[in-house]
Amino acid sequence: MDALIEKLKGQIIEQLNLAEVKPEEINPDSPLFGEGLGLDSIDALELIVLLEKHYGIKIEDPKDGKTIFQSVRTMAEYIKSQGKS
Amino acid sequence: MSQRIYITGLGVISAIGNNVPETLASLTQSKTGIGKIHHLTTRYKDEFLAGEIKLSNEQLADLVNDHNPDLNRNSYIAMLAAKEAVQNSGIDTADGLRTGVISSTTVAGMGKTELYYKELFEKDDHLSVLDTHDCGDSTERIADFLGNVDYVTTISTACSSAANAIMLGCRMIKNGLLDRAVVGGVDALSKFTFNGFNTLMILDKEWSKPFDENRKGLNLGEAAAFLVIEGEEALKKRNGKALAEIVGYANTNDAYHQTASSPEGYGAQMAIEQALQMSGLKPGDIDYINMHGTGTPNNDLSEGTATRAVFGDKVPRFSSTKAFTGHTLAAAAAIEAVISVLSIQNDMIFPNLNFTTPIAGLDLVPETSLVKTPVNTVLSNSFGFGGNCSSLIFKKVSA
Amino acid sequence: MAKAYINGTGCISPQDSINSQWFFDPVTPPSGDYYNAKEPSYKEFIAPNLLRRMGRAIKMGVAGANLALQQAGATKVDAIITGTGLGCFEDSERFLLAMLNNNEQFLTPTSFIQSTHNTVGSQIALIMKCHDYNFTYVHRGFSFESTLQDALMLFSEGKESVLVGGIEEHTPNFVELNRRAHKFKTYDPAIPFWKSTTPGIQMSEGAAFFVLGKHKTERSMATIEGVQTLYKPKSSDVILKKLSAFLDSHGLSLAQIDVCLMGFSSDVNFDVHLKELLPEIEKETVAAHFKHLSGEYHTASAFALWTATKLIEKQELPEVLAISDRKPSQIRHVLIINQYLGINYSFTLVSKC
Repeated sequence: MDALIEKLKGQIIEQLNLAEVKPEEINPDSPLFGEGLGLDSIDALELIVLLEKHYGIKIEDPKDGKTIFQSVRTMAEYIKSQGKS
Repeated sequence: MSQRIYITGLGVISAIGNNVPETLASLTQSKTGIGKIHHLTTRYKDEFLAGEIKLSNEQLADLVNDHNPDLNRNSYIAMLAAKEAVQNSGIDTADGLRTGVISSTTVAGMGKTELYYKELFEKDDHLSVLDTHDCGDSTERIADFLGNVDYVTTISTACSSAANAIMLGCRMIKNGLLDRAVVGGVDALSKFTFNGFNTLMILDKEWSKPFDENRKGLNLGEAAAFLVIEGEEALKKRNGKALAEIVGYANTNDAYHQTASSPEGYGAQMAIEQALQMSGLKPGDIDYINMHGTGTPNNDLSEGTATRAVFGDKVPRFSSTKAFTGHTLAAAAAIEAVISVLSIQNDMIFPNLNFTTPIAGLDLVPETSLVKTPVNTVLSNSFGFGGNCSSLIFKKVSA
Repeated sequence: MAKAYINGTGCISPQDSINSQWFFDPVTPPSGDYYNAKEPSYKEFIAPNLLRRMGRAIKMGVAGANLALQQAGATKVDAIITGTGLGCFEDSERFLLAMLNNNEQFLTPTSFIQSTHNTVGSQIALIMKCHDYNFTYVHRGFSFESTLQDALMLFSEGKESVLVGGIEEHTPNFVELNRRAHKFKTYDPAIPFWKSTTPGIQMSEGAAFFVLGKHKTERSMATIEGVQTLYKPKSSDVILKKLSAFLDSHGLSLAQIDVCLMGFSSDVNFDVHLKELLPEIEKETVAAHFKHLSGEYHTASAFALWTATKLIEKQELPEVLAISDRKPSQIRHVLIINQYLGINYSFTLVSKC
């Protein structure tokens, strides 16, 4: 799980072009949206593509992102639950 | 100095018809133009629906009677719709009065660029697509096609573009810079826009359901629509006939998010209120609202909330006609201006197709079948990416 | 029609114009056959969470707007109007190539969203929380002129302050393709633009913004008296006739113009009418040019307006701009005559406050 979380952090930074953010600054349990990294709805769409591109997971309804993208940890757990890690 | 502005000619080509009479027939028969994709090349051809114009580029070239290889789909349909509008109005651009062409587009020449862009790096054959890629190209094609045009410009404010072209035409006439103008917008379908909207996950794979609680997104369409507008002085000079008057317009910005509308519809509300204020009409004077109503969860909620804020519990009869035409982006406000004038001319309100359940909390119910009723005033809304909000108000010309 | 006071400017160009002290010295030549804008460190102007998504056109536009607002001491305006011929081409190209290379899969929305032509204007509105009038013009060599014309109308209609700007960017691919299409030629400082006998331009990019006011303030540098566009004029005679009428409508004749900034592009085909006009202009006034410094792009006239404002402010015509060795005795009126591809012509009249 920890390895997956670390891998995800790097992928998120790359996908969202968060040049100013270092992986160690991302707390896996902090919220990704609003406070925390301060991401918005466009980033949520970017993360959906990240899951498809790197893990082969397709999310059809953007609303599902709300629960999956709460934190890096919830993302990792979702990937595991889909048997794709 | 401030003179009244009249609409004297209409021209349109879209999924529901190649001209105004065909468009009116589809509207009155509740016949949508949205269906399986035939002309656009995309891997999603069988997965999504679109409102395509039912003619190939070859057929369009025949219609404009010009097989210049530099013409693209955007130019063909723009030239056809602009010509219809000019013929419908009866103006003669060579009569010495100052005529402007004010068009709008978002996709411009991309539909052709995307066919050749990769190949350009290997061979020279299609390098000329670089010259027709930009937004000004189709506007100048219209101007040259009509001839004797004194002024050209092009606007691109995403899905509100044509409303702003109409507004600019009115203002230039009122400020004494032009006597009349051919105003409108054009966007042919392209793989680029189709994929762009797909990444935003706001395309419905079935028919879009504007203002329905269970709406899932929009269907894209393609169209060109133009109107001839004239100042009252120019109209009097040639003894022309007015189809309707433009009595109000406003342009505001939601300044909330790059793509999404604010949940309270602040920009939309301001646009409607300012247009009403300019027209001198009260909310209760509006007979029909042609909504932006794209069918996306975000737009319809935001627009519905703004409508409630302005009209309270006395919301006029309304519909979104995008379930007929698809969302035609820059052309949307122009095609909806044409539909608004048809509504006034025929005393008809055209239905909001595919609606069954009102949005919870808003309880707004659009017209779902053709309504025959006196229509003297129409409000038409158009909103776009970048927070651009525009509203127009049309009025019947009193006899 | 009302006139507009120029109360603040911000100019990013191939020259050092971003430095408000720069007055056409030193001058930077193009890199071979095209120009790159000298871009600032954007961190000073734009928050990192916004910067991470922006293409160069958006960054140049937001920074240019920021500079102009700073100089005008303005935090709000009644309208934001931008002009751009090609818009955010970098993002358009990124999305286009990703779509073509990945067969329409794994596409992300950011570059599509940013590719829209009105992105610069709407980003500025978002940052300023400006809910008012917002327009984007995208008509070739009229893109920037249309913003000025609109601003003048807005002042007649009662608005008090308007932010206008012209923005253009190029990409390495776009430069390369245009080179293959033989649009460029190598810059030769020995051949003045107005004497060129060969086709080809120096393609360029940049962003110039202006805070315009209906009323004079202590920061007002110059006024825009009027703008007119001419679409495909048939001859230089037609241009001259239209020019006389334009100046006449402002109570002026060509003899009262102190400097005429002309948009020679060094392409012999595009400059035909301007070449014929030059002796007529030089009969009455001092002719100058600017595209050897800005390069050619759809909104190069925004650089010309910035130049005109500087000339009026400093009351001096630097030698590098001059076409002859004549010097104006004073600079009250500057006339810009621009052309783009020999199709889009415009007059802009700028005067001392």
